[in-house]
Amino acid sequence: MGGCACATVLPSALFLDARHAAAIEAAEQLDLNGRLHLADVAMETAKGGGASYADFRLCRYQSEYFEVKEQRLEASATGLSAGFAVRVLLDGTWGYASSPLATEEEVKRATLRAIDVARASQRLQTRKFVLEDVPVYHDRWDMPMESDPFLVPVDQKIAKLMAINDAALKAGANYATASFAFVREEKFFASSRGSRIEQTRVRVMPETEVTVVDQATGHFASRAGFAAPRGSGYDYILGYDFIGEAAKAAEQAREKLKARPVVADDYDLVLDPTHLWLPIHESVGHPTELDRALGWEANYAGTTFVTPDKLGKLKYGSPLMNIVADRSQVGGLSTVGYDDDGVRAVGSEFSIVKDGIFVNYQMAIGQAQLIGQKSSNGCAFADSWSSFPIQRMPNVSLAPNPKKCSLDDLISGVKRGIYIMGNGSWSIDQQRHNFQFGGQVYYEIRNGKLGGMLRDVAYQSSTTEFWNSMDGLGDASTYFLGGAPNCGKGQPGQSAPVSHGAVPARFRKVAVLNTGRKDLS
Amino acid sequence: MILTEAAAQEITKKIVALSKADSCTVTISGYDNRHIRYAQNMATTNGAPAGIDINVESHFGKRSGSAGGNDLSDEGLAALVAASENTAKLAPENPEFMPPLGPQKYGTCTAFAAATREASSEALAAAIAPVLKQAEEKKLQAAGFLELGTSFSSFGTSAGLFVYDQETDLLHTVSVRTPDGTGSGWAGTTLTDFGKLDAAAMGAVAIDKAIRSQKPVKLPPGKYTVILEPSAVADLVGILVGGEFDQRSADEGRNFATKKGGGSRVGETVFGKNVTIYSDPNDPLVPGSIYSTDGLPAQRTVWIEEGVLKNLQCGRFWAQKSKRQPVPSPTTLTMTGGTTSTADMIKQTKRGLLITRFWYIREVDPQTVLLTGLTRDGVFLIEHGEITKPVCNFRFNESPVAMLNKIVALGPTVRTYGEESAGLPLAVPTLLVNDFTLSSVSDSV
Repeated sequence: MGGCACATVLPSALFLDARHAAAIEAAEQLDLNGRLHLADVAMETAKGGGASYADFRLCRYQSEYFEVKEQRLEASATGLSAGFAVRVLLDGTWGYASSPLATEEEVKRATLRAIDVARASQRLQTRKFVLEDVPVYHDRWDMPMESDPFLVPVDQKIAKLMAINDAALKAGANYATASFAFVREEKFFASSRGSRIEQTRVRVMPETEVTVVDQATGHFASRAGFAAPRGSGYDYILGYDFIGEAAKAAEQAREKLKARPVVADDYDLVLDPTHLWLPIHESVGHPTELDRALGWEANYAGTTFVTPDKLGKLKYGSPLMNIVADRSQVGGLSTVGYDDDGVRAVGSEFSIVKDGIFVNYQMAIGQAQLIGQKSSNGCAFADSWSSFPIQRMPNVSLAPNPKKCSLDDLISGVKRGIYIMGNGSWSIDQQRHNFQFGGQVYYEIRNGKLGGMLRDVAYQSSTTEFWNSMDGLGDASTYFLGGAPNCGKGQPGQSAPVSHGAVPARFRKVAVLNTGRKDLS
Repeated sequence: MILTEAAAQEITKKIVALSKADSCTVTISGYDNRHIRYAQNMATTNGAPAGIDINVESHFGKRSGSAGGNDLSDEGLAALVAASENTAKLAPENPEFMPPLGPQKYGTCTAFAAATREASSEALAAAIAPVLKQAEEKKLQAAGFLELGTSFSSFGTSAGLFVYDQETDLLHTVSVRTPDGTGSGWAGTTLTDFGKLDAAAMGAVAIDKAIRSQKPVKLPPGKYTVILEPSAVADLVGILVGGEFDQRSADEGRNFATKKGGGSRVGETVFGKNVTIYSDPNDPLVPGSIYSTDGLPAQRTVWIEEGVLKNLQCGRFWAQKSKRQPVPSPTTLTMTGGTTSTADMIKQTKRGLLITRFWYIREVDPQTVLLTGLTRDGVFLIEHGEITKPVCNFRFNESPVAMLNKIVALGPTVRTYGEESAGLPLAVPTLLVNDFTLSSVSDSV
């Protein structure tokens, strides 16, 4: 163990006895003035410790989770987690510390701890981090919402889940699981540059799945629901036809057991937006993250084939392909007023792929100048009060075809193909070339018409080959906003919510494999 | 943020005293971590996060509700109890409700090392400095993550159970890439004791693999004899035993261990005779938590013995219903190894591949536990008993159930880290496996 003038906060100082524990003050009890005061304490302590930049995030997360299996309530849980993190830049080296104890004394201690970490890490700083200037904001942003899920009575939410499973069981499912998760995220951000920003947003995350079992053969099949998580109120839950889908899912799961196995070959694929949002996430969202291109994720999430020399040049996909990034789409899980670097996100929409050409990365603070650009485009996110903000995805969406085109139009242009709905399994390599995706249900397409259900389908391709094979795209009337509540990245691992808008699209001659390996059954 | 056992017990008692429910459980956990993250031979995001969580589950008859939070003040605890009780009162009766357990007998936790708890930020930086120096000297790019953590958890019930566990753990993973982008190597492990970390040696392994893996050749996909290094084995074994070994779903007909016509395959020879996998919280290689699901004591549990499926995880309700003993979730996993060194495995391989680790594994078919994923950070061709050249990465489509039936030789068991089975401490051997299905080639490095 080495010594350091600032190492006054040893880990053992955080071993609490009950007397200290009782002094914990929750961040939720602080009013704005209290938050502003703690921010000032952090800024002054950071400045006194020699930091050239500091920011302070005080956050509160309210959550609810309900899960019903068949007609049995499996989980009914509420949660409240509050705390803060201080991040300092000390002579070009980052350090941060976090704590759930939102007191003046603890903010000072955590700030010194962050400085201690940064100072100790300086010997490893062969290149210093430099932050660009960003405008200073004093603002409050609240996600618009019709019905606050936390104000809906608990028994109503449980009854809704019971009704969903009841519909599935009545329609022939042997097992049914339905859950709702709700999160309210409240963040207060302050930076040494002077910004003071408050934000609140809400996420609703429904999940359903039905399973049917054929005991005689020992086979079973499941069908997961298509309802996407959203940055919305409870009105989204009320507006979605969960009951109708549950019955349909049970019927389709039964059909799966008798479906014809696919013959492995190259097929034309028509991908429903309930499926395509995930290939967009994996094969466009992640490869165009600048931290990956800079090698900062090399040890975990990976790097990317989209290197900076390809900016403005790479033919990512066919001319029909337009990928847009935003943090303002209604219902988007990444929709927010300001990112976690304090960069204004509203109105910072940008293209990632324009007419098939790669034109822009997603960036957080301190990255843009490394590729000759001016500033961040507002893509920083920290998944908790205790996490370091890193570059995460905005809403990354496939723009609809400006010309009229329906799902039927796409299918009618296929002689021999497969129509895929929903997400099954998914996997992509660490530079985002080679991928394999499965769905929930697969239908054969023959001579422009949908046929019977297929099973054991997965397709493999590589990113640019796949997107360059796209020759059909649905119009705005076919748009669907999918998304994931838990995109993983970073070390320590962080989980980010992100939405992806998509329309149905047609891809030519994609390799399809049969996953029902006889040698395994 | 770490509570002492006395402090955790005092809070548990306060909550039980505040409770108006018929019964309740109290779970408290906290952590105090330090980490250095590095990439491109420099520190990137370095931190010292700390946190705490308390969860109260209240029961009125067969109605249950829970509330979690991190406010330890008296008002905070009272609010937590009230929130859990309000939720419970609104819940329908759960026919599968099991009352909280009373006092249990626990072992002593051995997963703790003072050197890990007390390490300073300087000590972390000092451990990483030689890794970066080696990479710089060879004009390579190192990226990695070193995290040291102290954590505690306690579980208490209104029926008088209280158990406390404090552990330390360490994770170090390092990737080294060549500047031309064609070579990449990796090393990684978890440990309990920071004093046992040799980060420089791990860096040397990653550097060696990065250099040797440069300019790989493409081989056609197909079935290959493979030598799976411990991280790759850990992923497959961790996903199978940690995630799929479930008695209830097997009995219900929706699991790989389901028997045709009903029931499970427990007691049958499902894997190769050379496969034995168990959990033991006192395993010196991978010590783990002394308690598991519902506060049940974590005990030595044999999951697979010489190929026979011996146990599946089984919750208390299902155990009662099916007249079995409950089998709590594993807190660690160990696969019994053999005596064949990796060098000897290479020597006995006429044609095959040596695989460093896997990436992005997902289940394709739960019926067969067919998994897909990719190789990463070093694949090497073996011809006539020698490594001859680096090979491009592959996507695999293979089931660990099948893989555990095709093992030809096992190396000694070592503690390792599987990126895709993160969370469960694992000790596994290197395996020589026949007919592993590699289904396509990846251009990624």
